[in-house]
Amino acid sequence: MYLAPEGHEIEIANAAADFLADAMPIDRLRTANSADMNAALRQQFGEMGWFALAVPESKGGSGLSAVEHVLFFREVGRQCGPVDVLAQGLAANAVAEAGLRQEIIAGTQGVALLAPDGDSYRLIGNPDVGLALLVTPDRAQLFSLAQIRAKERPALDPANSMGVLGILPAPVTTLDSSLIWRLGQLGIAAMLVGIAEASLDLIVDYAKVRETFGRKIGSWQAVRHPCADMAVRAEASRAQLWYAAAAIKEGRSDADVHLDAAKHLANQAALMNADANIQLHGGIGVTDEHNAHLLLKHAMLLSRLFGTKRGLLCKLLNARLED
Amino acid sequence: MDLQYSEADREFRARAREWLKANVPAQSRPANGTPGALYDRDWQRKLYDNGWAGVAWPKEYGGLGLSGLQQVIWYEELARAHAPHHINTTYVALMHAGPTLIACGTEAQKTFHLPRILSGEALWCQGFSEPNAGSDLAAIKTRGVIDGDHIVVTGAKMWTTDAQYADYQELLIRTDPDSQRHKGLTWVICDMKAPGIDIRPIRTMLQDEHVNTVFYDEVRIPLTNVVGEVGGGWSTAMATLSFERGLGFIGDQLELYERVCRAIDLAEKVTLEDGRRAIEDDGIAQRLAAIKADTIAIRSMTLADIAETDRTGMPGPKGSMMKLMVTTTHKALGEVVGEILGWDFLEFNGDRTAHPWTYEYLWSWVFSISGGTNEIQREITADRVLGLPKAR
Repeated sequence: MYLAPEGHEIEIANAAADFLADAMPIDRLRTANSADMNAALRQQFGEMGWFALAVPESKGGSGLSAVEHVLFFREVGRQCGPVDVLAQGLAANAVAEAGLRQEIIAGTQGVALLAPDGDSYRLIGNPDVGLALLVTPDRAQLFSLAQIRAKERPALDPANSMGVLGILPAPVTTLDSSLIWRLGQLGIAAMLVGIAEASLDLIVDYAKVRETFGRKIGSWQAVRHPCADMAVRAEASRAQLWYAAAAIKEGRSDADVHLDAAKHLANQAALMNADANIQLHGGIGVTDEHNAHLLLKHAMLLSRLFGTKRGLLCKLLNARLED
Repeated sequence: MDLQYSEADREFRARAREWLKANVPAQSRPANGTPGALYDRDWQRKLYDNGWAGVAWPKEYGGLGLSGLQQVIWYEELARAHAPHHINTTYVALMHAGPTLIACGTEAQKTFHLPRILSGEALWCQGFSEPNAGSDLAAIKTRGVIDGDHIVVTGAKMWTTDAQYADYQELLIRTDPDSQRHKGLTWVICDMKAPGIDIRPIRTMLQDEHVNTVFYDEVRIPLTNVVGEVGGGWSTAMATLSFERGLGFIGDQLELYERVCRAIDLAEKVTLEDGRRAIEDDGIAQRLAAIKADTIAIRSMTLADIAETDRTGMPGPKGSMMKLMVTTTHKALGEVVGEILGWDFLEFNGDRTAHPWTYEYLWSWVFSISGGTNEIQREITADRVLGLPKAR
């Protein structure tokens, strides 16, 4: 029992942080046409093998586990990385056919994410890619976008485009398994934990330099105490994410309960920390030029994917942990 | 990162479970008063006689020297076996005083006191807070005048839990009258039977008398009872508090999950004034589920904290974050159960066993104030976890 990253896990997290800070820094979102993941960036990720972290070695992947998967996506979240990164990685795990899988792993074939919305679907991610992935708790389906085009909708979140699709064609491939949903829920939870942490880091850094009434704002209890509460939320959601990832890796019978708890904690931590970060920054926090709003808007998107508050709490109410 | 218990940990759990199953007293603890303290001593004596006393103490001082993880296992097994709660009249001796003596005491102090603490023979209480110094501990005024080979103590301590049952007290006093704040303090072992000590209970909102004011009128304490240096009491006191904020509340953290499950069972049975079962109310169901998720995360936080503590060998500042998380969750649970129970929640005569939910709700303020208020825990987190500029 060791509930913290160790050894090669720390190396992978550090490598991911370095790569993402360079290839996909949050500051990119202050430039035009920066939403989603474009073809060039996708191939850069592909060359590093990031889409195939959790794909078995026999299928051309790195053969790593749910633990490395969350360590990577936590770093993606810290940079407000688009949902495309996850959709691509999930598709790499879902496709049985070797040729297509290889194209997805390499990033030469792009994948966006579908989310059910009543009778239609929301398409999240780059609308110009060829494929879209729809994941439910026990099934993953990949659809071709060659003959259809999503109706573009204005997206609140600058990190991702959003469109609407009415009818889907027959799936290109279907995988009847809970694996993809679990990796998806873990990945989104990890991104949200990254947002909760990034929000805390932004305000702590600012509180150390910004002065009011002749003192650093970080010396006022009106700022210090909400920061402490942010730290508690980040810590709790991170610890539960570690537990859920390890439970999935080890195939524990109550892994899904831990996963639902992790997603709920991550939803709350990201939304509340992003909110507090804006408030504690004062006026600068509501400007477009500051990154604070980017974290909030991305958290609002991610909190609706792979488990909403209402759905998660419904499941958790009667769930039992392994003895 | 892994959730696997080692062979040694599994073996330890099996041994603890087997022993507890056969040895947990059939009778539950008398709620309060001297019978409760006697019950605690008897249970501690049984643990001691069978080699289960002092789970966190080093082996060389008669403890079990368990790793943080094995301590978690021990508390989980205590809860599973419905064993007497470890936060009882033996708590200060085992969790504060003993570890402080081990870290800062003389050989003579260790030799005399440690076996008595482990066996339940000696109960201890804490003497830090005063009427005008609680959160601001460095403001204490209780005076100690050195007179030959004694210190003569005059003043008052407040919020002293179980003082009426204690044999000894960890007493923090100001021995240098000209000193300010953290300087000039001394940590001494006070014999509670010494002449000049007057204990007056403080009745709390729980309608109990577990805390006291203790008055000292020229109480003579031998200089050999000083733990650490005369004038160095602040650093001894900080050692004491680090034990409290370390793994001392693991048991409560782990029990919160069981308690929220019981609250959900309760909501399945109770009918609201509109005729629906409480669990059918979306607001109640959502809050219960959210609290349940928090309690699951609290156990994960404990395990993540222990991974760090076992690596560094020291309890870190994350204990403060844990206390914030646990106390807010505890209070939220009390609030939602209050809505579920309706009028029944307002029935209370101070009997913890007859009205456990109301008692726990009232206890939530004791929990978020004692042992460092939540405001102080936020200050510690801001200073030591986040490195924010000092507020003072």
